[in-house]
Amino acid sequence: MKKVFWLIFLLGAAGFMACAHTGGVPQPVSYDFTIDIPEGWRKIDNNRYLFLTKESPFLQYVMVQNRPIGMMFRHTKKKIQKEMMPEEAAQIIIDEIASDENILNFSVLVNGPAEIQGYDGFRILFTYNDKEGSRFKTLYYGFIKEDTFFNLRYTAAEQNYFQQDIGTFHRMLNSFQVVSAEKT
Amino acid sequence: MGGYERSGNNRWITTSWNPYLAGLALGCATPSEPMASPKSLALQSRADEQMLWQKAEEEQRAFESNGLIYPDQALEDYLNQIAVKLQPQPADLKIRVKVIKNTRLNAFAYPNGMIYIHSGLLARMDNEAQLAAVLGHEITHCTHRHALRAFRKFKDQPALLRAVEHTLSKNRSLQDMARFMGISGAITAVTGHIRELETEADRVGIELMFRAGYDPREALFIFDQMVGEIEQEELEEPLFGNHPTVRQRVVHLKKLIDAQYPQKGSETLNREIFLAKLARLFLDNVELDIRQGKFQTARSGVEKHLRIKPDDSRAYFLLGEIYRQRLQEGDMLKALTYYDRAVSLDPNFAAPHKAIGLIHYKEGRRALARKFFESCIQLAPDSPDKAYIQGYLKQCTLSEEG
Repeated sequence: MKKVFWLIFLLGAAGFMACAHTGGVPQPVSYDFTIDIPEGWRKIDNNRYLFLTKESPFLQYVMVQNRPIGMMFRHTKKKIQKEMMPEEAAQIIIDEIASDENILNFSVLVNGPAEIQGYDGFRILFTYNDKEGSRFKTLYYGFIKEDTFFNLRYTAAEQNYFQQDIGTFHRMLNSFQVVSAEKT
Repeated sequence: MGGYERSGNNRWITTSWNPYLAGLALGCATPSEPMASPKSLALQSRADEQMLWQKAEEEQRAFESNGLIYPDQALEDYLNQIAVKLQPQPADLKIRVKVIKNTRLNAFAYPNGMIYIHSGLLARMDNEAQLAAVLGHEITHCTHRHALRAFRKFKDQPALLRAVEHTLSKNRSLQDMARFMGISGAITAVTGHIRELETEADRVGIELMFRAGYDPREALFIFDQMVGEIEQEELEEPLFGNHPTVRQRVVHLKKLIDAQYPQKGSETLNREIFLAKLARLFLDNVELDIRQGKFQTARSGVEKHLRIKPDDSRAYFLLGEIYRQRLQEGDMLKALTYYDRAVSLDPNFAAPHKAIGLIHYKEGRRALARKFFESCIQLAPDSPDKAYIQGYLKQCTLSEEG
């Protein structure tokens, strides 16, 4: 595996800022991350988050994001805040996904506390259908560190793909490290 | 009305009783053209209509298999009774009404008589006459074959298609609507042609509700209420808000009603029946509003429910949820008051126990928090959030020991 140093300069990501409609200008985050990208996975260019897939995003993808807390979501007006407990943040993520009209037959299988590289966070396992009727399964980890909400998710077609790369995702999760944005 | 010919098995998704989509339509260039009569349409080939019906049926199947339908047979029966009451006789089209679990202020119809009304729109209504206004409008779309008329107009004017594509590409909410309703529904909605159809649906719908004994003024009431709410909640509803042409539409309707439907004072409202039938939907829709962070709308929904069922513990729990999740100054105290009320009304209702525990926990009152977390676990030992609660209890123990 090659070690890739992935960082997102939110201050410089003009497009990102433009997308965060209303609610004021999002604050730049203090923390970035590093993560190992496994062999055979390719990065899809994006200045907002790390997005990886092995074959196709319609079959499987991993997405990792450091998001300013307080930043607007698309489908709920609720915001993640610094003092929130993991369960409260998890609920907002669930509300955001459940409120998305493109997510059908959404079902939360697991929602519980999780430790992500020493940080108290949450873990959600859920399934849903897209508009075309394909069924997907997502494992979503999230935690708050000061002004930054980190989230790592693995989504794959439920039937034939989810189990295939869940191990790879866990290895990625284990390689995940928070770093100060200043150092990057 | 009444004298139009219908063409058997012809259907297509039609437009919606939806001021914001109508507003959008009004924003487009509208070629002036006399409205085609359904009679003349019946003389044309029906292949296109049949194709459209087929597509519409696919979209209906998708709706119904994707968990979007609100499951309440008694409510559906009630809505269908009102539709039958409104439909002109003799009826050669079977009107059916279903509810979609969705907070949008919307309703739409397929030409085969299938009408979908969003829970968000139902939740804003106060009486049966307002429901009749929406259903009368949608029934008119079906009986007057508006979808086919829109499609034929649209098909013959590629410029309109380009205008629609341009509008869709610029408006995120419309993109959402297009995905939700099916692209056909959204496209139909953004054609300038729709303006004529909406006007006809308004006019005939008012006549239908009047003939069924309802007060047509209630149509204006719900329209105004929706405009107000969209402004209040700053909802992103495409080109609705203060769109002047939408306001013009209301003014036009008001003129029509004042001129042709003098108030008698004996019109049917059926407020009590309506509220009783929709009581559960009001709270279910409140849950959706809370999910979306529309706290003021959610609060109005709970208050409406409490006027019907003043001792409903779930309603008080949801009021507590609104304040706990809104996170404004003083909200936690209000939330606690409502959770306490919920517990006093139903001591076995686990959810408010946990919510009270959470507030105490976050504010450092760990002993109190422990008490409520324990009672929650006792009441709901298989609760899906059990792992979180066990974590809080562990922390409470550590705090006490420390």
